Amino acid sequence: MNQTIRGFIKKEFIQVFRDKRMLVLLFIAPIIQLTLFGYAISNEVRNIRLAVQFQPGDSMARHIEERALASGWFVPATGEGDPFVLVQSGRAEVVLVAPPKGLTTALRSGGGEIQVLLDATNMIRARGIEQYLQAIIWEVLAGEFPQQDLKPVLNINTRVLYNPAMKTSYFLVPGVMVVLMCLLTVIMTSMSIVREREIGTFETLVTAPVRNWEILLGKTLPFVILALVQVTLILIAAVLIFGLPMQSPLWKFYLAAFMFICTTVAIGTMISTMSRTQQQAMMGSFLFMFPGILLSGMMFPLENMPKAIMGIAYLNPLKYFLTLLRNILLKGGDDWVFWSNLGALALLAVVAMAFSFNRFKQTLN
Amino acid sequence: MSKAPPLVVDVQDLTIRFGSFVAVNRISFSVKQGEIFGFLGANGAGKTTTIRMLCGLLIPNEGEAYISGISIHQDVQAIKTKVGYMSQHFTLYNDLTVAENLAFAADLRKLEETALEKRKKELFQFVDFTYPEKILVKNLPGGVKQQISLATAILHDPDIIFLDEPTAGVAPLVRAKFWKLINKLARAGKTVFVTTHYLDEAEQCDRIALMRDGEIIALDTPKKLKQKTFPEPLLEIEPPLGASRSWMDKLKVDPKIAVIQAYGRRYHVLVKNGKEWKKISRKLPRDYLLRKIQPSLEDVFIRQVEGDPA
Repeated sequence: MNQTIRGFIKKEFIQVFRDKRMLVLLFIAPIIQLTLFGYAISNEVRNIRLAVQFQPGDSMARHIEERALASGWFVPATGEGDPFVLVQSGRAEVVLVAPPKGLTTALRSGGGEIQVLLDATNMIRARGIEQYLQAIIWEVLAGEFPQQDLKPVLNINTRVLYNPAMKTSYFLVPGVMVVLMCLLTVIMTSMSIVREREIGTFETLVTAPVRNWEILLGKTLPFVILALVQVTLILIAAVLIFGLPMQSPLWKFYLAAFMFICTTVAIGTMISTMSRTQQQAMMGSFLFMFPGILLSGMMFPLENMPKAIMGIAYLNPLKYFLTLLRNILLKGGDDWVFWSNLGALALLAVVAMAFSFNRFKQTLN
Repeated sequence: MSKAPPLVVDVQDLTIRFGSFVAVNRISFSVKQGEIFGFLGANGAGKTTTIRMLCGLLIPNEGEAYISGISIHQDVQAIKTKVGYMSQHFTLYNDLTVAENLAFAADLRKLEETALEKRKKELFQFVDFTYPEKILVKNLPGGVKQQISLATAILHDPDIIFLDEPTAGVAPLVRAKFWKLINKLARAGKTVFVTTHYLDEAEQCDRIALMRDGEIIALDTPKKLKQKTFPEPLLEIEPPLGASRSWMDKLKVDPKIAVIQAYGRRYHVLVKNGKEWKKISRKLPRDYLLRKIQPSLEDVFIRQVEGDPA
């Protein structure tokens, strides 16, 4: 290998490994973040505080309460009294109020009304609670009146593929992996090059008879290597902690990760050629990353977005890597998805590299 | 008959503009091998810009410069192997050790490891570096950092060495030590190109170029610069302690006097006709001391750079 580039790799590694804070940021923080995000961010609604108010002896209402608590989604609300006050005070999120004569009686006489008071300050949560409750009530009724045709005419038999337990972590962990990799590579690369300018060592580089490509490759290759180590750690954590199934062979994972890292490192370099200070490089990185994350399909499906924004999303390397990761980790999907997304990443990498190479100057101002 | 040493730096009408600002305006000069060539001038006069052009770090808009016979428009990479450059900024990595800094500099220049080890020993001896080489640069005192900066700049044993304010902000004793190194380099046949703010340092140069607003306004040996700037004798008047300014104010309007410049308690005086200098003493009270002095470079600098009182 070229001695200059070898020198760069040695130097960057010494600098990174000598800096304790940097080490924590590089190798510990991503795992903690992955775990935190993976566990904490969840669309599942749990621990719903439920109160059911009914007359003694109303067995139907009691069944509903028991079934709800047994489902694991609900916990009993503390305290009794006026249902409004319960919701208002936050002791209950949902209160079921049986008809005054009792639900059992009402149903025997041909039909009745059950009142549900639902705290919808968090709309997403409220919607989830409503769905759960409805399902539980249907189940109870079906058990009580097997002879009556309470069910809809058409029975939908859903089979959930690739994430049978509908775990949010399966959906989110690949996204978090993409964000973490992007964060580390873009910020590290852009700041590292600008730092040389800021502390003056850039003059050392350019007074030596080195070629542009030697400086650029020398400054970026160490981060590509570091990022590959990181992605390994993150993958191990994802499989061990969240049990991601890893449906494709490892080489596909590494090929995709390598291509993505090349793209983001090239984008980091591009940002560095446009920044004078480390702050600017930082801001520039975020300017790229926020839309990058939002338009990756990590949280919000791209298909729902306006056409113009979908157009921008096609320039987004995060979108391609996320598609690749979900395929590799969860689906083990087909070759066309793999190679087309990989190709798109490669194309973006080449464009970003060409841009940085053109903008990079060895002169001082 | 001894052969004249070859020109190693040859500059013709070098000009660079940043936007509409002309930073360096048509300067021409040449430097011989083994010379210590000083660049003197205020901040913003264009010294650093000139050096950067000669090292290939800035591209001039007009003009030509040859470094060891190579045009700066032709092969910047070749020039970079011939010159060593010590920037006015600190350009070592604080978080690397001395050895690691030098090793990286060697890798940048593709010096072999055995060559590096040998050269390192020479350089440590040359700059009198006595710390362990595994010490982090940030833990070195300022003067030693400058020594290591110099060692890094001349690691590849260049023929021409550009030093941009190498002694700025360094203690006087360390400055003197650093200048010993510069003299040693010149004796070894290296050409040293140095900018400085200190006039006592400029005194040690073989030749000095005075720069003002991007132009070279005077260029010669220190001795000749003084002679040329002050063809008439320079007088120093020392009034007695506690003397009023009235006598000096009177002298200022005397038609025989060209310039009076205050130097602390004393005055440097230039008369229009050199032969008449003794007559001045008759105009002063007896307790005023008057003597003929050798102009310092500071006098030259003030006269040349900071205005043209004549």
